[in-house]
Amino acid sequence: MDTLTNFINGTIALFGDPLGILIFLGGVIGGMLFGAIPGVSMLTLAAILLPFTAHLSPEHGIMLFSVIYCTGVYGGAITAILFNIPGAPENAPTAFDGYPMTQKGQAGKAVGAAVTCSAIGGTVSAVIMMIATAPIAGWAISAFGPPEIFALVFFGLAVASSVGAKTFWKGWLSILLGLLIAVVGLDPVGGIERWDFGMPYLLAGIHFIPTILGFFAVSEVFVQVEKKARGSYSAPKVSVDFPSLAELFAQKIAVIRSIVIGFFCGILPGIGATLAAFMGYNEAVRWSKDSKEFGTGKMEGVVSSETANNAATGAAMIPLLALGLPGGALTAMMVAVFQMHDMEPGPLVFLNSADLVWVVFSAMFFANLSILLIGFLETKTIINLLRIPFQFLAPLILLLATIGAYAVRGLPIDIVVMFIAGIVGFFLRRSGYSVAGIVLGLILGKIGEQTFAQAMQMLHFEWSGFFSRPIAITLIIAGMLTLLNSIYSSFFKKST
Amino acid sequence: MKLTKYMASGLLACSMMLVSNASFSACATDSLPDSLAGPDGFPERALTMIVPYGPAGGSGQVAQAMAQAVTELTGVNINRDHKPGGSGTVGMTAYMALPSDGYSVLEHIDDASSAHALDSSKPNPASDLIPLVISQITFSQIFIRTNEDRYTDWNSFVEWVIAQDGKATIANVSKEGSMERVTMKAISDATGMSIQQISFDKGAPRYGALAGGQVDALFEQPGDVRKFLDAGTFKPILTILPEAPSAFPDVPALSGTGLDFEPLYRFRGFYVHKDAPADRVEWLKWAFQKAYCQQSYQDYNESKYMHLIDSYRDTEGARELITATISQYREVYKEMGLDVK
Repeated sequence: MDTLTNFINGTIALFGDPLGILIFLGGVIGGMLFGAIPGVSMLTLAAILLPFTAHLSPEHGIMLFSVIYCTGVYGGAITAILFNIPGAPENAPTAFDGYPMTQKGQAGKAVGAAVTCSAIGGTVSAVIMMIATAPIAGWAISAFGPPEIFALVFFGLAVASSVGAKTFWKGWLSILLGLLIAVVGLDPVGGIERWDFGMPYLLAGIHFIPTILGFFAVSEVFVQVEKKARGSYSAPKVSVDFPSLAELFAQKIAVIRSIVIGFFCGILPGIGATLAAFMGYNEAVRWSKDSKEFGTGKMEGVVSSETANNAATGAAMIPLLALGLPGGALTAMMVAVFQMHDMEPGPLVFLNSADLVWVVFSAMFFANLSILLIGFLETKTIINLLRIPFQFLAPLILLLATIGAYAVRGLPIDIVVMFIAGIVGFFLRRSGYSVAGIVLGLILGKIGEQTFAQAMQMLHFEWSGFFSRPIAITLIIAGMLTLLNSIYSSFFKKST
Repeated sequence: MKLTKYMASGLLACSMMLVSNASFSACATDSLPDSLAGPDGFPERALTMIVPYGPAGGSGQVAQAMAQAVTELTGVNINRDHKPGGSGTVGMTAYMALPSDGYSVLEHIDDASSAHALDSSKPNPASDLIPLVISQITFSQIFIRTNEDRYTDWNSFVEWVIAQDGKATIANVSKEGSMERVTMKAISDATGMSIQQISFDKGAPRYGALAGGQVDALFEQPGDVRKFLDAGTFKPILTILPEAPSAFPDVPALSGTGLDFEPLYRFRGFYVHKDAPADRVEWLKWAFQKAYCQQSYQDYNESKYMHLIDSYRDTEGARELITATISQYREVYKEMGLDVK
């Protein structure tokens, strides 16, 4: 009852203030727009707005950032589905099936599924956040240390070997290539320089955003240019059909599973929405009877990814508010907003600033709901971008991707990396390798290497130490079984 | 040979001075003029500040606070350009490639000094750059959970760690040659304890590791964990300063624990190209040094416990600090068997 009362009070405080409503709407629309355009992500918007939040009340400042977070995570799905350009890394798995759906003339259904499931994932996550922030935060940091997170990454990679590649072995080679790329730069524990070829900029490593833009957007432009040159190009059919209720209801298991996965990944400090989206997608593949259809335009792929990444948003607020531990870049910026107002997120925030917390909770709840409304309107309008002729669209995509690659760190080398990834992706895609696997290897490789090194230090370099940690060993055994099953299938089943 | 031999040898000539509450009323740069016209109208446009770390961490925050203070003082806008990666190497490289016209400045931390100490081909912040001001100098502490019952203070912690025979853990940023690793080596040598350092490069997982019981202790600067101290989640058990500062009078410092070495400090400052026009450099020195005493900056520094020791160095003071630090690190690296180039 207290929770409901607090929620109602937070809602009244939010919508009883004209300036609050204006900031809320600005955050909703700004997050979606910046999330949708590669390179100018929600982080860009947040960085621009950060100094101005000093002139807002603490409630308005934190609320603005939390709303941008919710809608920004969704916004990147639109370009992922329509043009194979994920607006942010957490939308990359959405492109795996979203873009093929567009090519099949089902863009409306894909965007509709993304809208609906982003809203559901985010809203459920916000509700859980309201009910149980403190106990969940405490449990997460106690139960999940580096050994458990490494085991989770291992499990994710074992499952991912079947995503997007023609054979198990090509899937694993793709992942291993991603892992290899991930080791470029300083090693995450000892700071040892690796594979920099004397170029200082490579010490920062290969960033996954230029890589994603290259493998997805640039290589796709090359593929379509080749089709155009061969005379086999056909523009995608423009359809604004929303998925039916029956189609959406059929995704209920995928939605529930991705909410659990997304929420779980979101509460782990430093993990966040990107891993949530990949894990959500991977588990959908793993549990599906039609796993071979993933990557060819299966709605469940879009549903799983988008539900999971939005479910991570509410969850990421839990360690931030309860413990002062930001889960990612945007939540870290929220810490700066708190500090600008002489506040610190953490246990005392619930005691000292309960009103603020409940305004933020209410705003996140309604921001996720508003995705449904604004997303529905978007579906009916933005899909018409597909009507732009390819000769105009292709340079626009390359321009946006180039800006996006450069904007991440302001380093020219990221543009070079993007075009190399585009060329490599062009050839790999036609030979049955998985660009999704490479990207996953790159993203999870960085997390996995660091947590593996930390785990081994914590376990005193004894492998048997994993057996003393039930969650870690369970995930490792599950990953091993998945791996063995895949190897068995690759040898004894013709279909693989 | 123990590391403490070098760390105790007084190489860090400008030893840190504790600041008493009484001396805080006067600020270091109050004697500078309140305004200063730039040469030939300099600067005619916004300055660019290269920040080699992300916007949310300690460096990003001090860059934001100093940029705000300079703008308040001079009306000149400063665009912050974050170029994280490679432990500051990427930002430094990007800055050195910019024109030396005085329109770009660099924020950097003591990592630049330790990097040069290890590899002299990397820029020396004292000679390849001109320090405008060092505006944050801070010390480190060792923290435990407040509700920890296996040990409650420094002595019981050391006793417990020794009993674990190398299996106790401490979270820090222990990349090769880092201030944290060097300091922990000195502490381990002096106490005879063996403790496994777990390296976390980002703050949140590092603090979460202690709060969640994944590690036994945390090596950190107090300003970065102030919220945990205020919330009563963490408590310091050792201050790595010769004497206890006023904010932590009951926490033992080096002198009270038999740890006889000169501590290493974390410092953050602002720099300009050594080839920038001299008259522009003079204006920049005035702007950044004077901005240090702006109320907004002083408030920020106080919120981060940066007022407990003298956090200010002008150009010459910064050069002395950097040069002494490089020399100190170099000796320690040789002692540690690292390949000093």
